[in-house]
Amino acid sequence: MTTTSMGSAPQKISLSRVLGPIHVWALGVGIVLVGEFDGWNFAADKGGALAALIVLWFCGLLYSAVAMIDSEVTSTIAAAGGQYAQAKHIVGPLMAFNVALYMVFAYTMLEVSDAILFGDAIVSKSGGDSGINHNSFVAASIIILAFLNYRGVLTNLNFNFAITAIAFLSIVILFFSVMPWSQGTVLKLNELVTPENALPYGWIGVIASFHWGIWYFLGIEGTTQAAEEVRSPARALPLGTMAGMVTLLIAATMTWYVCASLLPWQLLGSTYFPLWDAGRATQSPLLENMMFITTLLAALASANGCINDAARAWFSLGRDRYLPSWFSAVHPKYRTPYRSIIFLTPIALAFAFVADLNQAITFSILSGVLQYTFMSINIMMFRKKWPLGSIQRGYTHPLHPIPAIMLFALCMVTFFAIFLGYGVQLTAMVVFYIVVSVWFHFYRYQYVRRGAQFTMPWPKPQGY
Amino acid sequence: MWVYLTYLCWAVCVGLGGWMLFDWYKIDTTYSEDTLTSSREGEIEAVSEKHKV
Amino acid sequence: MAKYNPPDQPIVMQLFDIACLVAAIFLALWFPLYMGWAGISKNLEKIDNPTWDALKQNPTMVAQWEKLGFTPETAHAIIQNKWVYTIDWTQLIIMTVVLLGYFIFLFMASDREYRDVIDEKFNSK
Repeated sequence: MTTTSMGSAPQKISLSRVLGPIHVWALGVGIVLVGEFDGWNFAADKGGALAALIVLWFCGLLYSAVAMIDSEVTSTIAAAGGQYAQAKHIVGPLMAFNVALYMVFAYTMLEVSDAILFGDAIVSKSGGDSGINHNSFVAASIIILAFLNYRGVLTNLNFNFAITAIAFLSIVILFFSVMPWSQGTVLKLNELVTPENALPYGWIGVIASFHWGIWYFLGIEGTTQAAEEVRSPARALPLGTMAGMVTLLIAATMTWYVCASLLPWQLLGSTYFPLWDAGRATQSPLLENMMFITTLLAALASANGCINDAARAWFSLGRDRYLPSWFSAVHPKYRTPYRSIIFLTPIALAFAFVADLNQAITFSILSGVLQYTFMSINIMMFRKKWPLGSIQRGYTHPLHPIPAIMLFALCMVTFFAIFLGYGVQLTAMVVFYIVVSVWFHFYRYQYVRRGAQFTMPWPKPQGY
Repeated sequence: MWVYLTYLCWAVCVGLGGWMLFDWYKIDTTYSEDTLTSSREGEIEAVSEKHKV
Repeated sequence: MAKYNPPDQPIVMQLFDIACLVAAIFLALWFPLYMGWAGISKNLEKIDNPTWDALKQNPTMVAQWEKLGFTPETAHAIIQNKWVYTIDWTQLIIMTVVLLGYFIFLFMASDREYRDVIDEKFNSK
């Protein structure tokens, strides 16, 4: 920190374009990979071990559709705020406001879950009689990551790349060290998942487990938040997102196979640390400690990406005056949306101290599914208002409209799955969105400039 | 040992949190509000990417 | 169409807007937690003096439970705590109506605002 450079800062300050495809990968996979270390396994609780595998496949399909659709739209609309900027250009301001809130909710509550996981893992490691609680670890993880985010996006995502890669490698190492090719030696899939207990609740259990199946991949769409900071968005975003999706499909499949072959389904469905417990079940101290450490790393990587994404969504709202423009300040030295980062930190802290883990995850999932529902409709409108050929697209996704229809159908199934057990929360949350939508449409929108919101150099949309 | 770790965590929180608040205050008082909020969406695209109609 | 110039918002009102939003966020997220509405459809089917046999665990399962330090007593609360999937139709209908109403309002109001944006951007010179 020198003060000499401060007076000579340029008149215009913007986020800086410094990221490449590996950072996009690190942001996407970093946020999501924690789902393998905690969360997906509650699908086994809701429907049995086989249900967890079935939803893994279906959610893999859902998210492949999300990644393809997202890549097309965002390689064309490259702005911080990601889906928010998409909604603003394609559907309209109120939709954009809602989408930004979905993201801030989904990411902030995911960050909260990560911090709780981080704290609980350490407390659990310390043993029951150490007499400590998780608050200090929760707070430290949030504050340290907020600090890293404050200090600049490049260092931050380099850090994220390193810890995400280590966490991913640990899953691969665990997978190969239990000799997956030889069932019966360490792994006991046949005896743990039997015809009697594979689907203990029948097909309704499979539907219900969609609720947590989402958690295998939730957050991969966050790659678009980096749009304004990557050097070549049209290339790096599709590349990083797709590579991330492939990584996650591999990690999720390995995780299911190892965990379902080592832990009885009720245990799998109730633990907060499925991979760590799988490491313990091998009775190798080396594997156990490795999975403990990478559980912590995965939680940090995820929380880090979430702070990054939530702050950019909040920043974009300020920049268009959807929220007071005060939030749209960029740090002249570190080029980060520093006020948004600081503002969201105490909110995350407050929830981290009061919420419990799977409730925080449920809030995050709810906002995520609302957002995917929007995305399926959004891509239809995008193709209709600007058909292929009318503007230059960085990437065009195949088989339109099949991915969009599939995505929409899977979202409906997931809403129903959340209803089974968390129906009141879902309704309460939608009521919240209705209230803030009315507030925005009839009151707040008066402070927003109209034509200036449309920033892409595109022709007029068809039908207007 | 675990108890000392929690003290360390709180100390880190106060240190880094305090630094962020201090830096925030310093930046806000050094630069004008217009400079800080001068970022605009899509400005770079408008120059570097041309779309054919 | 004439260019729309938004009024300036005094700083106090900006703060007030943020406070409203934060209050709404906390209310929406905290209230269901406070009321204990989440995940309530689980039911503990209690077995007295549980054994691994009574909990229907085969020898492989028992070995894995024990590696992680569980006994029949501690595993009992996990194994016998089961979901009850009954569909409350009234609640389902309320949820569907709220969700549908929300999306319809969202897209209709957005479209109205969007027409203004397009009009000012492309039709005013």
